[in-house]
Amino acid sequence: MGRYHYVFPRWTNLLLPGAIFMAMVAPLYVVYVVAYGFSPMTTDVGYAPDQVIEYSHKLHAGELGIDCRYCHNTVEYSAKASIPPTQTCMNCHTQIHKDSPKLEALRQSYEKGTPVTWTRVHDLPGYAYFNHSAHVNRGVSCVSCHGRVDRMDVVQQMQPLSMGWCLDCHRNPTENLRDPSEVTNLGWSFKGTEQELVDYHDFWQDHNNINPSQDCSTCHR
Amino acid sequence: MPKMLLYILLIGLIALLIPPALIATERSTVKKKPRVHLVQDMDNQHRYKAQQANEFFEDGRAMRPPVEGTVARNKLNDDAHFIKGLVGDEWATTFPGQIDVTVDLIHRGQNRFNIYCLPCHGEAGFGDGIIHQRAFKLVTAGVNGTTWVQPKSLHEKAIREQPIGQTFNTITNGVRTMAGYGDQVPVGDRWAIVAYVKALQRSQFAQDSDLPAGTNRSELQFEKLPEQETPDETTDDATNPQDEAEQS
Ligand code: HEC
Ligand code: HEC
Ligand code: HEC
Ligand code: HEC
Ligand code: HEC
Ligand code: HEC
Repeated sequence: MGRYHYVFPRWTNLLLPGAIFMAMVAPLYVVYVVAYGFSPMTTDVGYAPDQVIEYSHKLHAGELGIDCRYCHNTVEYSAKASIPPTQTCMNCHTQIHKDSPKLEALRQSYEKGTPVTWTRVHDLPGYAYFNHSAHVNRGVSCVSCHGRVDRMDVVQQMQPLSMGWCLDCHRNPTENLRDPSEVTNLGWSFKGTEQELVDYHDFWQDHNNINPSQDCSTCHR
Repeated sequence: MPKMLLYILLIGLIALLIPPALIATERSTVKKKPRVHLVQDMDNQHRYKAQQANEFFEDGRAMRPPVEGTVARNKLNDDAHFIKGLVGDEWATTFPGQIDVTVDLIHRGQNRFNIYCLPCHGEAGFGDGIIHQRAFKLVTAGVNGTTWVQPKSLHEKAIREQPIGQTFNTITNGVRTMAGYGDQVPVGDRWAIVAYVKALQRSQFAQDSDLPAGTNRSELQFEKLPEQETPDETTDDATNPQDEAEQS
């Protein structure tokens, strides 16, 4: 008997265990790539589109210290915080930096009565309902959901705004609560010992009787 | 093992590292381009949300402004005292019936004043807010055609003595170079601001008779008033309230 022409070489013995190993690892790999790749932490967090006007929160809300509610004046009354109308900017900019090239789009809008085409940064899906006034008046600060906007030249999305993220806080809101009069003070921090801080959070939870709902119909209505 | 196969295997393994690497960079960088959601799941439905754009209308707004001259149901308010600060043809000198002047109202007014007025008029109302200071610098440096009129000190005689209806009207419709805040501040809050402005003015011109009975004036400590950048026309009676209090 001569040598069999079709005998597999010795290294092919590795193929079977190799294939089994791959079959076990591949699903994990796919799950990882899909879970991380499609998570809002990847697709949405860090979104910071350039706007038609180089408007800076760092300058207006940070350096000049204008309160958020000067511009987002519906945030305490309604579901929407609202982007301010041109008139709000023009309270100051009819005079300040009157001829600035950076404000060209603003002047156009003012003269023609057309809106400035700001690009939306935070955007929940159409089937989810969110309400600013329910949070802001209960002592949840803008900083919990939007980060230090007063330090951003361009607004950037800081939180995933996913259902899991909403529920994390709705299940345990205590640490995000503060005196409702300090909600727009993004740089606010508690002065006192750790125990006092815990008491402070508990106080506001009890005081306002805060118990966020986890019913589906709260956010899907 | 044939070399060829080994290389293919190695390249394959390296290729598998590419998606995680892309994901990692995507997570750690600021994104400027529009978001991509591969699985749409009814994220965007066929309706318009607040402040969305709609090409159908010439001005591009999906939210339609009310037709001029129309009033929404239940929104008609023809009480001139409440919404205009007018009684007959004169500025009102009293608060309208809808407003209860209480300590709470004044606190509300303080809170609103600090949001809407403080940037220009300053915390104590002397017309020295941060916007004034910045604008003043820009005018001096001649940047971008900036012009500026100093916000009035609310402690000027003419403003202290004006009827409250007129102050209310200033907030609602503005005066000269100051824009109106009627669209930004609801009517009740505007009256609250008026109440606070009155309290602020009184605080700078307190009389002996304002002190609780039995207080010995000479025992009180007075804080120095902040210095004003430009003394106003009514200097004689406005800059030093202590003097005035002493005269009376
Ligand atoms: C002088 C007016 C002004 C003030 C004060 C201001 N904002 Fe804004 N804000 C704007 C404008 C105009 C936009 C839209 C342009 C943009 O996204 O940068 C905006 C956008 C935003 C957005 C993003 C909205 C979106 O598209 O999703 C957030 C969040 C926000 N502001 C939060 C804040 C917070 C928090 C404060 C207070 C610290 C604040 N703003 C103060 C004018 C203002
Ligand atoms: C309360 C007054 C105030 C309001 C309201 C305001 N700004 Fe400003 N803004 C300023 C001041 C003051 C500066 C100048 C700061 C400096 O240069 O020292 C400025 C600067 C700017 C600049 C930079 C201009 C340049 O040429 O450097 C832009 C752009 C701008 N604002 C946009 C806006 C927009 C858009 C809005 C409306 C959402 C707005 N501002 C509302 C006070 C205001
Ligand atoms: C509990 C979390 C939370 C808090 C607190 C919060 N926001 Fe938001 N904000 C959101 C979410 C979620 C959206 C997106 C809403 C949507 O797409 O309908 C949003 C959207 C916005 C927008 C875009 C316009 C709009 O109304 O959709 C602005 C402006 C804004 N927020 C400003 C503020 C300011 C100012 C504060 C503080 C006074 C604040 N937010 C507090 C979660 C929050
Ligand atoms: C940082 C904490 C926090 C986050 C994040 C948060 N919430 Fe809330 N939410 C609260 C608190 C606190 C309340 C007030 C509960 C109360 O009044 O008892 C509340 C109330 C609400 C209400 C009103 C419930 C009612 O009874 O009317 C809605 C709707 C809501 N949240 C939706 C959302 C959605 C949607 C998200 C995610 C996009 C979200 N929330 C994220 C803390 C949070
Ligand atoms: C605190 C608010 C909140 C509550 C309570 C809530 N949801 Fe959600 N849900 C959201 C938000 C916000 C999203 C959108 C998340 C996103 O953008 O990926 C969402 C998304 C979803 C989706 C779509 C997921 C997808 O990617 O297609 C389903 C299904 C859903 N929720 C079911 C439920 C059910 C069932 C309940 C009750 C057990 C519930 N939700 C309670 C806020 C909430
Ligand atoms: C953007 C800056 C700015 C803001 C914000 C502002 N003001 Fe003024 N205000 C001015 C300027 C400038 C003048 C002086 C106008 C002139 O003489 O041309 C003025 C004048 C006044 C006067 C004097 C009117 C008169 O009869 O002479 C009063 C009263 C007043 N403001 C009250 C307020 C109140 C109350 C608020 C808050 C709701 C406010 N202002 C917000 C800039 C501002």
